[in-house]
Amino acid sequence: MQTILNFLVKHNHWFLLLLLEGISFMLIIHFNNYQRAAFFTATNKAVGDIYSVISDVDSYFGLRARNNELKEHNTKLLSQITELRATLAELSSHEALIGDTIARSLGSGYTFHTANVVSNPLNSVNNFIVLDKGSKDGIEQEMGVFGSKGVVGVVYLTSESYSLVLPLLNGKSNTSCRILGDEGASVPMLQWDGGDTRHSYLVDLPRYTKFETGDTVVTSGHSEIFPAGITVGTIDGVESTADGMFYRARVKLSTNFASLTSVFIVGNKGHKELKELMNKIPE
Amino acid sequence: MTGAFLTRLRNFILTALAQVLIFSRIHLFGYATAYIYIIFILKLPRHASRNEIMLWAFAMGLLVDIFGSTPGIHSAAATLLAFLRPYILESFLQKGTPDDFTPSAAAIGWSKYLVYSSVSLLILCTTILLIELFTVNHPLILLVGVGSSTLLSMLFIVATEFFNRK
Repeated sequence: MQTILNFLVKHNHWFLLLLLEGISFMLIIHFNNYQRAAFFTATNKAVGDIYSVISDVDSYFGLRARNNELKEHNTKLLSQITELRATLAELSSHEALIGDTIARSLGSGYTFHTANVVSNPLNSVNNFIVLDKGSKDGIEQEMGVFGSKGVVGVVYLTSESYSLVLPLLNGKSNTSCRILGDEGASVPMLQWDGGDTRHSYLVDLPRYTKFETGDTVVTSGHSEIFPAGITVGTIDGVESTADGMFYRARVKLSTNFASLTSVFIVGNKGHKELKELMNKIPE
Repeated sequence: MTGAFLTRLRNFILTALAQVLIFSRIHLFGYATAYIYIIFILKLPRHASRNEIMLWAFAMGLLVDIFGSTPGIHSAAATLLAFLRPYILESFLQKGTPDDFTPSAAAIGWSKYLVYSSVSLLILCTTILLIELFTVNHPLILLVGVGSSTLLSMLFIVATEFFNRK
């Protein structure tokens, strides 16, 4: 008995090691499976507040570039409005079509919010971005996030006043896309494999897909997270998969994640309903 | 005793802040990140008990995790390194080295200190990347990531030694 006790006391650091590693791995597993680990992430109130102060200071750098970007975006929106007005005026002459068109444009039911990037580390395989809007601002899980240049990611976790975004630059990110001009209408998935923060990959692109480098990649709208047609990037390289069955296209992301400061969050009112419906399908 | 503790607490906070607010945001070429919080673990005095080192390292890892939204990864890696640190340090010491000292280039010599810190860094970076890559399978990223992060962190460790030379 004495020997066992002596042994335990002498090697107590082993138990501390096991305890601490146990806690760590519990955190890792919880965070990966469930959204319970909110306290241990930067969505934590105290941590988020510290980051807010830092990003306030940060945001003064590069104001000029930011300004130009917004101007560009504004111009684009203005031209879109003019276009839509023209379409509306044209359609107004066809009474029967109006209802249909309005139902299509409004019935899609997307809500938009703006938010500032509070923290945006890009140094790991599983990056997360923190935004300064949370559940009290109406942000929910699985809302889409995009910037003025293109898609950023999907809301992964929300706390009261902060939310965590799973960006395209995360090994777990999986975004359904479409290549503009591809009549075959294949819907490949965009996945990131770590490392280069400017590129991502379209995987499992069927061989019948017609495209060339320089083609624009946009969201497909199939996931109901993003409206269809938001820019993701441009194709700048193609290779065949090892089994030769598919193409794997390298996509230059249009969003510059390193200088991301403010984003739009888009929610689809129908998304929850659709999900509930899908859950009703018996397994 | 209290003075020593307060100094250590100050170093702990300063190192953690520098890591999460500055160094964690640097990702050279998309691969390399400097894990300078390892300096705090490397520089705990030789006589510190294993449990003490592990608890400090775990706290440091947890802070880095919370700020980086990577729960558990850095705390697991830092704890493992802290557990191994006495073995690594002792293997570089000759007989007759004073009982208690703070590991530094001046105390144990440049070459030994460099090897001591690079071995520790390799352990830390490999553990971090291995845990991250649980979800993504890519041995090349592991090699490039560990190599580049170790080199970049070494740069800062050497710089710290120069500044502390006096």
